Amino acid sequence: MQMSFEEIPHTADIKIRVRAPTLEALFSDTFDSLMQVMYGTNRAGCILREIRIESTNYESLLTDFLSEVLFISEVESLVFSEARIRIDGFHLIAELSGEPFDSVRHSNGSEVKGISYSGLTITHDAKGYMLDIIFDV
Amino acid sequence: MLEGVNRIGLHEWEVPIGYVAGMHVPGKFFLSELLGKTLEQGAIQQLANVATLPGILKNSLAMPDIHWGYGFPIGGVAAFSIDEGVISPGGVGFDINCGVRLLATPLLYKDVAGRRDVIEELFRTVPTGVGAKSTLKVSPGALDDMMVKGAKWAVSAGYGVERDLSRCEDGGFMKTADRRTVSGKAKQRGLSQGGTLGSGNHFLEIQVVREIFNPVAAKAFGLSPGQVCCMIHCGSRGLGHQVCTDHLKNLESATKKYHISIPDRQLACAPIISPEGRSYFSAMAAAANYAWANRQLITHTTRQVLSKIFRIEYEDMPLVYDVAHNVAKMEEHRLDGKYINVCVHRKGATRSFGPGSNDLPQDLTDSGQPVIIPGSMGTSSYVLQGTHIAMERTFGSTCHGAGRIMSRTQAKKNLNGKEIAACLQKEGIIVRAHSENTIADEAPDVYKSSDEVVNVVHEVGISRLVARLSPLGVIKG
Repeated sequence: MQMSFEEIPHTADIKIRVRAPTLEALFSDTFDSLMQVMYGTNRAGCILREIRIESTNYESLLTDFLSEVLFISEVESLVFSEARIRIDGFHLIAELSGEPFDSVRHSNGSEVKGISYSGLTITHDAKGYMLDIIFDV
Repeated sequence: MLEGVNRIGLHEWEVPIGYVAGMHVPGKFFLSELLGKTLEQGAIQQLANVATLPGILKNSLAMPDIHWGYGFPIGGVAAFSIDEGVISPGGVGFDINCGVRLLATPLLYKDVAGRRDVIEELFRTVPTGVGAKSTLKVSPGALDDMMVKGAKWAVSAGYGVERDLSRCEDGGFMKTADRRTVSGKAKQRGLSQGGTLGSGNHFLEIQVVREIFNPVAAKAFGLSPGQVCCMIHCGSRGLGHQVCTDHLKNLESATKKYHISIPDRQLACAPIISPEGRSYFSAMAAAANYAWANRQLITHTTRQVLSKIFRIEYEDMPLVYDVAHNVAKMEEHRLDGKYINVCVHRKGATRSFGPGSNDLPQDLTDSGQPVIIPGSMGTSSYVLQGTHIAMERTFGSTCHGAGRIMSRTQAKKNLNGKEIAACLQKEGIIVRAHSENTIADEAPDVYKSSDEVVNVVHEVGISRLVARLSPLGVIKG
């Protein structure tokens, strides 16, 4: 799987840096990094779920979205492989596809306890968007 | 050492007011020269950030296992005035009442050494790792009881003995819990995870008492040389994580509402006496109670496994003690010669109440509270005793563990899980985990030396060494 994000060394937790041409791709790649940290790279499936989030800024929109992904993944035992994201202002609609948790293929990662606000930055310049985020594991 | 901090004692350092703008009190941390070599500037910054919060008393403190976290540093302790101070989920963490307990057994080293079957059976019976679900069917009514009564619910339901409760901090439940402040989402996550260990640094470890430093206290705690014990390290699982997520959002609005200026969004907070502050505290207490119930359920399973394999009595495996190391508590402490109620946040720090404390059972009054400090997979764990010095200097607090020094990214790159497991096997330590990645992530090399951390707290006097335990076998998520 092509890496669209990189892990930045962080002593206690997992710090991720994502670069993407659009805000939608930035959110989608961050979502992918979260799923990879938790369940590894062997993910597929076509079970669909939709998430709708409204917030007051992009940082909160992202943390609320990822927190909702954590919630659904845990209570429904679903491992997601893809997110199709639309962002309109501070309103997000995400269509996720995934599969039931399989202990053989999906036990290679670390449980993420929460999406930290500390160190969360989203910046935008001529080259596109860049984001740093910390997952508490 | 680090720039901008002053050494004020052998193991004592001060972060002066002004290190970051808006500090109300100086920061103070306890650290040896050796441990200082791996301390990150970010951790000091976080310690200083905490000192800017309204109503903070005396010092923003950190224990020798200090490292860079989010909000508070890991190892951070801060007490706040009830009337003028704030409460913050950033001072507790996502894993509310992550904690550790030690169970004694009548078994000896020779009974358990090299017994892979014991570790395999524990791994099979205690659900561990990402995605693991409980075999216990918890009804919504029982979940409410778990959140209100904590370990007491578990014991009433048959998952333990009455004495266990007197060996838990706060008797295994915080009375201020209010299940109405816990969201439906958090409750949904709690239903399927009662009695599960989780992943990351959580573990269940079979250990042997290798060294006794204080025979009188060891006897009071029920520990003797060569004795086999079991250490359980876990927290409030998804329920606690969701409580933190939900209330962090709520408190972020409250921070603006009450015009509180914070240097880090993760330090979102509200006055302790505000509706938002009270709501978080009640929900946090409910999650803390869920964690105590959870550790009690795992204790029950462990006792059943050991009882079956070794034909020993369930009652012959007494709980030594259970401590919370991610929690906020209302406690009475002496400040400027007067006893006052304060809100103590411990984020990766352990309560260390000294002899004579009201919260201790009668037979531990003379010795002080047992303090349980877990090591990593290949290193020693320790039992210490709480002290009067901790009451005077650190709001009754001490360290909580070894503290990481290597990132998970580096660990995966530099270390090989299979080789580590083989190496530990040669040392007589059996490791069982879901993946080799987990073993690399949690290898002994990624942590500070637990020996050095406990030596510092012992020498500073905020807890005193009682016993050292070394691992024989460990299960991890």
